Amino acid sequence: MREPRLLTAVRHLVLLLFVGIAVYPVLNVLSISLRPGNRLRSTDLSLIPDNATIASYVQLFTEQPFLTWLGNSLLVSVLVTLTGVVLASVGGYAFSRFRFVGREFSMLAILTTQMFPATMLLLPLYILIAKLHLVNTFIGLMIFYTATALPFCVWQMKGFYDTIPPSLEEAARIDGCSRFQAFRLVILPLALPGLVITALFSFMTAWSEYIVAAQVLQEREMFTLPLGLKSFQASMSTEWGLYAAASILVSIPVVIVFVSLSRYLVSGLTLGSVKE
Amino acid sequence: MSFLRLSDLDKVYPNGFRAVNQANLEIREGEFVVLVGPSGCGKTTTLRMIAGLEEISEGSIEIDGTVVNEMAPADRDIAMVFQNYALYPHMSNRENLAFGLKLRRMPKDEIERRITEAARSLSIEHLLDRRPRELSGGQRQRIALGRAIVRDPKVFLFDEPLSNLDAKLRVQMRTEIARLHKRLKTTMVYVTHDQVEAMTLGDRIVVMKDGVIQQVDSPMNLYDSPVNRFVAGFIGSPAMNFFEGSLVRGRFSCEGIACPADESLPEGPAVLGIRPEDLQVQPGGACLGEAELEVVEHMGHETMAYFRLGTQTGVARLSADFPGRPGEAVTLYARSSSWHFFAPGEGGARLLTEETKTTGNAEA
Amino acid sequence: MKRLFLFSLLLLAACSPRESDRMVTIWHQMTPAERVILDDQIALFEHAHPGIQVRALYKETEELRSGFQAAALAGTGPELIYGPSDVLGSFQTMGIVQDMSPWFDESRQEEFLPQALTRLPSNNDPASKELLQVGDRIGNHLALVINRNLLQETPQTTEDLVRLAVEQTRDEDGDGRRERYGLVWNFVEPFFVIPFLTGHGSWIFTDEEGSTTPALDTPEAVAAYELVLSLQNEHKVIPANCDYETADALFKNGQAAMIINGDWSWGDYLANAEIDAEVVPLPVVASTGIPMGPMVATKGYSLNINAKEEQAGKAMELVRFLTSAEVQRVYMWSLKTLPSRKELLDDPLLQEDPTLKASAIQMANGRAMPVVAELRAIWDSMRPSYQALLGGSITAAEAAAKMQRDAVDSIRKMNQKLEPGLGATLIKGLGGLLLALGLFWALRSLHHMIKDWKHNRLAYVFILPSLLVLLLTIVFPFVYNVILSLSNMSLKHFQDWQVIGFQNYIEVFREAVFFSVLFKTVIWTAVNLVFHVGLGLLLAVMLNGPVVGKSIYRVLLIIPWAVPAYITALTWRGMFDYEYGAINLIASQYLNMPMVNWLGSPFEAFLACILTNIWLGFPFMMVIALGGMQGIPQELYEAARVDGASRGRQFFSITLPLLKPVLLPAVTLGAIWTFNNLNVVWLVSNGGEPSDQTHILVSYVYKAVFNLYRYGYGAALSMVIFFLLAIFSIGFLKKGRATQSVYG
Ligand SMILES: Nc1ncnc2c1ncn2[C@@H]1O[C@H](COP(=O)(O)OP(=O)(O)OP(=O)(O)O)[C@@H](O)[C@H]1O
Ligand SMILES: [Mg+2]
Repeated sequence: MREPRLLTAVRHLVLLLFVGIAVYPVLNVLSISLRPGNRLRSTDLSLIPDNATIASYVQLFTEQPFLTWLGNSLLVSVLVTLTGVVLASVGGYAFSRFRFVGREFSMLAILTTQMFPATMLLLPLYILIAKLHLVNTFIGLMIFYTATALPFCVWQMKGFYDTIPPSLEEAARIDGCSRFQAFRLVILPLALPGLVITALFSFMTAWSEYIVAAQVLQEREMFTLPLGLKSFQASMSTEWGLYAAASILVSIPVVIVFVSLSRYLVSGLTLGSVKE
Repeated sequence: MSFLRLSDLDKVYPNGFRAVNQANLEIREGEFVVLVGPSGCGKTTTLRMIAGLEEISEGSIEIDGTVVNEMAPADRDIAMVFQNYALYPHMSNRENLAFGLKLRRMPKDEIERRITEAARSLSIEHLLDRRPRELSGGQRQRIALGRAIVRDPKVFLFDEPLSNLDAKLRVQMRTEIARLHKRLKTTMVYVTHDQVEAMTLGDRIVVMKDGVIQQVDSPMNLYDSPVNRFVAGFIGSPAMNFFEGSLVRGRFSCEGIACPADESLPEGPAVLGIRPEDLQVQPGGACLGEAELEVVEHMGHETMAYFRLGTQTGVARLSADFPGRPGEAVTLYARSSSWHFFAPGEGGARLLTEETKTTGNAEA
Repeated sequence: MKRLFLFSLLLLAACSPRESDRMVTIWHQMTPAERVILDDQIALFEHAHPGIQVRALYKETEELRSGFQAAALAGTGPELIYGPSDVLGSFQTMGIVQDMSPWFDESRQEEFLPQALTRLPSNNDPASKELLQVGDRIGNHLALVINRNLLQETPQTTEDLVRLAVEQTRDEDGDGRRERYGLVWNFVEPFFVIPFLTGHGSWIFTDEEGSTTPALDTPEAVAAYELVLSLQNEHKVIPANCDYETADALFKNGQAAMIINGDWSWGDYLANAEIDAEVVPLPVVASTGIPMGPMVATKGYSLNINAKEEQAGKAMELVRFLTSAEVQRVYMWSLKTLPSRKELLDDPLLQEDPTLKASAIQMANGRAMPVVAELRAIWDSMRPSYQALLGGSITAAEAAAKMQRDAVDSIRKMNQKLEPGLGATLIKGLGGLLLALGLFWALRSLHHMIKDWKHNRLAYVFILPSLLVLLLTIVFPFVYNVILSLSNMSLKHFQDWQVIGFQNYIEVFREAVFFSVLFKTVIWTAVNLVFHVGLGLLLAVMLNGPVVGKSIYRVLLIIPWAVPAYITALTWRGMFDYEYGAINLIASQYLNMPMVNWLGSPFEAFLACILTNIWLGFPFMMVIALGGMQGIPQELYEAARVDGASRGRQFFSITLPLLKPVLLPAVTLGAIWTFNNLNVVWLVSNGGEPSDQTHILVSYVYKAVFNLYRYGYGAALSMVIFFLLAIFSIGFLKKGRATQSVYG
């Protein structure tokens, strides 16, 4: 199916406009990272500053434990992504397909966990972390990140399962699957777009969080990237060059994750399975 | 010995709706049983309970002597063809067929053998390496059928497998299924809306209404001696004509009709049922009375004549050369042996003469 | 996959550090340059004391304060904290720091300048004083920095200052935009106005020793504000709405002849080769003859109340080392900080180095920062009125009067001691009843579940892990907050708080500002959400067709989501700058539109926050929509096309309804997140600027809790937010039938 030329042109126009809007502020960040002398603001529009320098980037790798932070962040984020995807894919399935006691209550209760202003949670959260002996452990961090990402992920997965005809798993059960097998072998592969989004979201949650991390992690070597990044910031004496350079570097893995995951954002997975 | 037995089966949905009510049914090994009934009468529900997809509220189901109430579908050794195919879209058609066999850890060559055999009999060999989405509706239907066949199960369940196919394909698939049954001699339970399918395929037919089984019988018995007005009206096309009147001392009468009836029938209000094909315009049998033709449809090999008898209407199936025109009056005759009398009301029971009472008893 | 998971768990276990008793932890808020020295010195110390390991952890000022409060309350925390002395007033009131004199006897204390040691009355015995901080430097004060490339003369009086600033302000090409400004500083921040106040003979508190009574409404203060205002309005020597970063960039770029800035910043200026910076003392106010005196603070080490015997001993060993003459000298030599030890006053460097000399003079002119909790209330009350004054909406006299009123009010709130009321007994009874009811309900559900277990075993197994994780993390904080919201936890009752009743809730609804902030929050949420979803859908639809370069577009469009928001939000703040921000520059230079004072006026500032947040949030919705669209069968569109449906119709009758299951939770959660999004408002509007007009409910909570220590009140407000959101979202989801599924 060919589209009318005009429509194609409109598509590109809209997309280009928003790409511009999306990218410009980030180019500014890039510009800060290349600016010598620790300046956040510039007084003109040029994106490549005078005497641009990559000193900040060099410094990140040579003088700052940037790679350690990167490793920590990757470890935590990947594990949170895995647990998030596993828990949400099963949890969402239960909500989509079963009518068990307390189903609606738990669905809504899961959502309500997101409604409390995070600022007020810090005090009890710290007490909790301390009492559970999770201070300065990645496990503590992971539990909190998973809990943060889960409500959305569970609901999202439930939404995706809802679009998959239940007769597919019934067919599978008659073919000899247990309920679990039917879920694993038939439904899960069809929920791939949902899994991608769940994975992306869990990853982002863990990757960019710093408030809880600041409570849990108490050692510079244990820092995750956002926390490392924040340590370049001090009231009125922030190292803007490092801060910006690190921000740019921090976003690269996200882009990589997104690119590799978005291959699986494919349509028409359930096509041909059932008569419409 | 019954192979599949439903005893006092009840299904109450969580919302309190009773979809199946005290169903009792015994099916012999190798028998082909067809479930019919109006939409929403509980056919699918019954089938799904047999399959194990729906919980049983009350009563029990036995397969091959084992109560399977609590048994998972996977362990019941049944195969089901879904109304909407339910093919696995992420597998090739071959994998769709092989899926159930692989789960049962069948050797590879045996799987291959069964698939080849089933594919040949359904003429789907050339489709096996495609995905379901690359097939036409009829082809998908055949893959779905193939998926059931390769399993070689104890019982086949079909839920309106041929609905939504075009007329020609339907006929073709119907004979395919008939052939299949002849070859495999496996027990089959088949849900359909289609009279022809029911009459041609079934060894016995189960008629349901509002969750209650009305009658279980061979196609001919069902046609000849329906147990109530509902079954009588449901089986046969066009449907049986009903005239409401009363029985008084061996005569049935209503406005426009007066005809003799068996003396042993109980007196009082009653409904007379006559199938369209039992009506004729040539003198013979009993005379029903003067009817006014309203619509006459020439079908080629026969003619449908819609008429009015007094205040009531009916249809007669007449020979192709019937010359009558709308507005004309004709005298209708009926073969007396084909009369059915029912108690008044929608589902009124068949009124029995001394004679039919005994034969009815004998049959049961 | 399972194996990978187990492996990672092992790895995690291996990574978890073993807490050891030998460890002494310091939380500090040193600048990056100071941290380098600190790390070196700690290494030396560890070398000399093999039994002690030191872990130094940088925390941003606010994080250090709130983090330390939480940790101390939980009975843990670092042994030592390092920072300016101003927090000690509240820390002492809360009882989370301890007296250091057992380890620091009189003779030792004698070695320090008197202002270097912070001694406050003991909580138990107000007559005796406790040593709460040992300072290792004195400073944190403002001075004037001159770019000698531009200006040779040094202003001696404020008249000189104005004259020179006017001379130095240049519009060389005559386009109405100045290429160079005479005098810049963080104009919108009250801390920077203090030297003008002192120079005019005014101060923030009344004059008695240790006073906590605000004295903001004085004729002298009004005169000071008028002078400051004239620099902006009459002489136009400073750009409109100049904040810290703008001032800093202008000076570093050689576009400003003079800057008023603190000692933390001088190193950067002196090291900058493009300018020839010199630090000089602030001038004398011409009308009074008093030199402008900045606030001077001591920075130093304090000991956690939870540091016990041996640990405390080790920690104090470290304090002795870090405040020693050798260490102070290193700081002084490399960072030009002023020492806190008497012996170092004779150090030759202090006499020779021009910067240190100027700094010392400036310090001598300065006034010590009061070590009282009330100081925060002062800043909080000054800021809105001061900014309103700069924005031109009130006069100097009105501003001063309003500051005073607000300060008195804030201090009253902060020091409020709520006592258990009638509600307390009611709550205890009600709590018991509720508990019993809850227990009954839980048991009944459990009973139902056990009956249901057989049928839905897999479902229970499937949701159990998720529920456990959530329960583990949320139940305690939630219950804690409920109790807190009924309690009198505040500055004065930090450790000894108790349930008092519903006073906090009454307070929430009694404050008129609550409803206006709520209204703003609703607007904020609605506008953001509409644009997030609208733009997300639009872009998803655009991407979901046959587009060349789709994957490239897709990646570029998620960039706002990928880059950390805390830097992009600041970038946006820069883009909204009145004179130098990209938005105004583009609008005025290319589109011929008038410049908008984005951050200086309440409505525009709020709009700026919204625009930033829209930018931050649309990629997420786009990805969700894109994912959801993959589940819509193409056949439906084909069918619709055959039926002659236009593209618009197709979107509204196919795409939108079928996206519902995935969009509904995303929209609900999006609304919740936006409602509670503190960061963007905080970063873009710099904590509610101008004049506290850009607050949404959460930032309002944040202010109440972290600036005024009103924990009980903040918790009650949070509960109100919670219930508002719960009612809204449950209603919304029920209406959208979101908990049901399309099939069975
Ligand atoms: N999950 C359910 N909850 C409540 N009622 C249901 C449920 N599923 C089906 N029903 C009701 O049960 C009755 C029987 O449904 P069933 O699907 O068995 O009908 P059917 O005989 O197969 O009809 P059709 O010929 O239209 O397929 C219907 O009236 C239907 O409305
Ligand atoms: Mg059905």
